[in-house]
Amino acid sequence: MEKILIVAELKKDEVNKSTLENLSYANSLGMETSAVLIGTGIKKQAEVLVEYGAKTVYVADDISLKFHGTFSYTRILQEAVSLSEPTQLWFTASEFSADLMPRIAARLGVGAISDITKLELKGNDIRAYHPAMSSKVIQECLFEKDEIRVLSMRGGIFDISEAKQTAPNIVKLSIPNTDLRAVIRDVVIETTEGVDLTEANIVVAVGRGVKDSEGVERVRPLVDMLQAGYGATRGACDAGLMPHGAQVGQTGKNVAPQIYIALGLSGAIQHVAGMTGSKLIIAVNNDPEAPIFNVADYGIVGDLFKVVPILTEEFKGANSTPISTIEI
Amino acid sequence: MNIAVLIKQVVDVELNIRVKNDALVEEGLTYVISNWDEIAIETAIQIIESVGEGTVTLISVGPDRVQDALRRGLAMGADEAVHILDTAIDGSDSYAYAKLFAKILEEQDYDIILGGKQAQDTDAGLTMSMLAEFMDLPQVMNVSKIVSLGKEQCTFHRRGELGNELIDITLPAVLTPNDSLFEPRMPSLRGMMQSKKKPIETKSLSDIGVDPDLVGKSGKKVKVNRLIQPDQRKGGQIFEGEEAETTKQVLALLAKNEVGKENLFT
Repeated sequence: MEKILIVAELKKDEVNKSTLENLSYANSLGMETSAVLIGTGIKKQAEVLVEYGAKTVYVADDISLKFHGTFSYTRILQEAVSLSEPTQLWFTASEFSADLMPRIAARLGVGAISDITKLELKGNDIRAYHPAMSSKVIQECLFEKDEIRVLSMRGGIFDISEAKQTAPNIVKLSIPNTDLRAVIRDVVIETTEGVDLTEANIVVAVGRGVKDSEGVERVRPLVDMLQAGYGATRGACDAGLMPHGAQVGQTGKNVAPQIYIALGLSGAIQHVAGMTGSKLIIAVNNDPEAPIFNVADYGIVGDLFKVVPILTEEFKGANSTPISTIEI
Repeated sequence: MNIAVLIKQVVDVELNIRVKNDALVEEGLTYVISNWDEIAIETAIQIIESVGEGTVTLISVGPDRVQDALRRGLAMGADEAVHILDTAIDGSDSYAYAKLFAKILEEQDYDIILGGKQAQDTDAGLTMSMLAEFMDLPQVMNVSKIVSLGKEQCTFHRRGELGNELIDITLPAVLTPNDSLFEPRMPSLRGMMQSKKKPIETKSLSDIGVDPDLVGKSGKKVKVNRLIQPDQRKGGQIFEGEEAETTKQVLALLAKNEVGKENLFT
């Protein structure tokens, strides 16, 4: 019987959606699931993991774990694996797991498959599908050896479902000493206000065509009215027009909303790779040759600042009161 | 300060990529240095320029054509290159490459080991972290700013899940740069001329004392069984003209479209 150990990822100190998706999927297949939870002041989150079906939750809760120190976190995961003896170790594909997953795999002497968008699981037989070449191809990957399998899944590929809960079994893990070879002194936490890009039904994204901060604000009424996530290209983020948390693309966030409205962005392959899963793409760009028009379902060649007010007028969001005018 | 930069020559993914019989159609493809690896080369050169002394050594694995990639890196300003050429390495995965690089680098004394955060052909993003683990070295991935450089310790900003981290790291260390850390320079004409005089050493596995079982078919942990071409999105209807007109036309179409109707007009 497969034993899956799921590495919980937290968002604002709460277990994030992707973690629950992984947990739900493993449970739905009838596998024995456990979870490992690492951080500061988060041990109550173990209850959430139990609620979604984790048989055992391994917890490391300490002030020294406030920041994601690779050495500490890898050491803790190593202990969790040793105690739990899983056949598989699951992560969600994120900046958090980008370092950690390969490091623990290497420590365990096993291989790993990252950023999986489709998973076929028949007992020990795993077929994992991983987008490559900026999503121009999909690799069908298999593990070669019979040893612990380490995987990271993209968020949004599984549904969250109810699970049969068992009596909570919480195991406390040892807290390693901080490895002085790498010390995170501070983290400037970027507050991303507004709708989460990876959870939004509609994403409005801007590129450098939005020109400046004023331009960004001129688009905001449309974003608010649609209750959309407000995303951006790497270029717009690098230019300081939008926060880095808004970046959509291979090295930013992968989004797959119902509607993607691309404004003043050319459609570089690294950006497109991050939104190609959108159901419907609408693009506005001054340049008729912009590659975005090769993937957009509907395209307008023109000035986005002329188009946006018309869209804002004519679209009606689910909640017709724009967020920016709600009195608090 | 001595820096090693691990680079990979990859298919130019900006080109039209086609899959036939579960594999990549090689015809018509050209090769380039993986984008993030170029940023790593630039980072290495800039660090040496900043520190005022040291060498940048490029290391790459692959067939003969890899020499073109190494020449380009030398033309950018790297000092020397090592080309590992051995058919036994074919079919390696990230794990096997990391083991191989660890063996090569263990023999040397580099202060910093730089590489791309992911390779443009696989987008796996595993090799550099695995390498750091095999060598028991600290790692800083996704470096967004160089704050200070010292002989024994450096300070960087990196973009982590929580935000911008300020991290102190002792050397030797493994680093990967963020997309935006530096823009890779175009090799100058002078650079290209000079690169012809810089050494590229070619070595086989036996030259470096590596057992073929460590890599390739025996050493790898993950196999790519086949490639699949996802359904390509195609461009739909594009409208040009007066924005008032064209926008109204698109709105009319969206109102009739299932997804558009549900999400934009309820």
